[in-house]
Amino acid sequence: MPATTRVFVKASIVYLILGALLGALLLFSRWLPLGSAVYYVRPAHVQFLIVGWLTQLILGVAWWLFPPLAFRLRGRGYPHGQAQRGSETLFWATFALLNAGVLLYALGEPLHIRTGSGPFGGLVALSSLCLLAAALTFVINMWARIRELGRGQV
Amino acid sequence: MPSLVRLYIKTSFVYFIAGFLLLALMALDGWLHIGRWFGVAYISQLHLLVVGWITQLAIGVAYWMFPRFLKTHNPRPRGSDTLAWAVYLCLNAGLVLRLAAEPFHLMTGQSWLAALVALSGVLQAAAAVGFGLLIWARIRPLE
Repeated sequence: MPATTRVFVKASIVYLILGALLGALLLFSRWLPLGSAVYYVRPAHVQFLIVGWLTQLILGVAWWLFPPLAFRLRGRGYPHGQAQRGSETLFWATFALLNAGVLLYALGEPLHIRTGSGPFGGLVALSSLCLLAAALTFVINMWARIRELGRGQV
Repeated sequence: MPSLVRLYIKTSFVYFIAGFLLLALMALDGWLHIGRWFGVAYISQLHLLVVGWITQLAIGVAYWMFPRFLKTHNPRPRGSDTLAWAVYLCLNAGLVLRLAAEPFHLMTGQSWLAALVALSGVLQAAAAVGFGLLIWARIRPLE
């Protein structure tokens, strides 16, 4: 398991635990009154579990297990080592954008709901752009690896 | 595929079917008014799919496929069997308890049902923490 995948998977497990704890807090508030502020954690609960946990785990494992690249690098033969998986720099960019998107949304959405003010709406919009950029960088990086194994195998 | 992994995956498939069956019944209820229960079960139904199906499948496959410990270092190559069983039991007890209690709590507002819903949240959070403890050391390079 490459270092990149290890970071993705460990981050996803942290989000699973945080998301589940926030979910437990929300369910607890149905029994014991914890104040109305507890409902502001709902966007973070959803975002942590759907994007931080499930999506990030899938991206990390896909990077690890999908077939390696098969095309020749100009003048250098087939890629080898980490380069077989695609651009590691771009994959780290995916990681940074995805986590920035998750955290900005978890912070910005409750503040936006509470205050209804423009700057926090801008934070939510920025988080969405980060997530879109994460998705684009991941797909661009992985596209050529979605192929049949065996043809052009290094 | 070890027996506990098969159990995780088969259980996740059951939730997959149950989640969409419940969705179909909720859609029918919107048309035929089968019962009030279906009108308040949507949050439980969503959690059947997100936690029972996708998360449980991910946990089962990770427990199966992530790099194992060398037998010279650890006699249990996938980590503690007891903890893996505890995660399975907590996750599913929490989910089933939620499905059983939450719609009735939303309909009646009774306090003891709210306590059961809170307990279901604690069980699912315990499963998440248990899974983190179980798998953390296996997130490592292959040897």
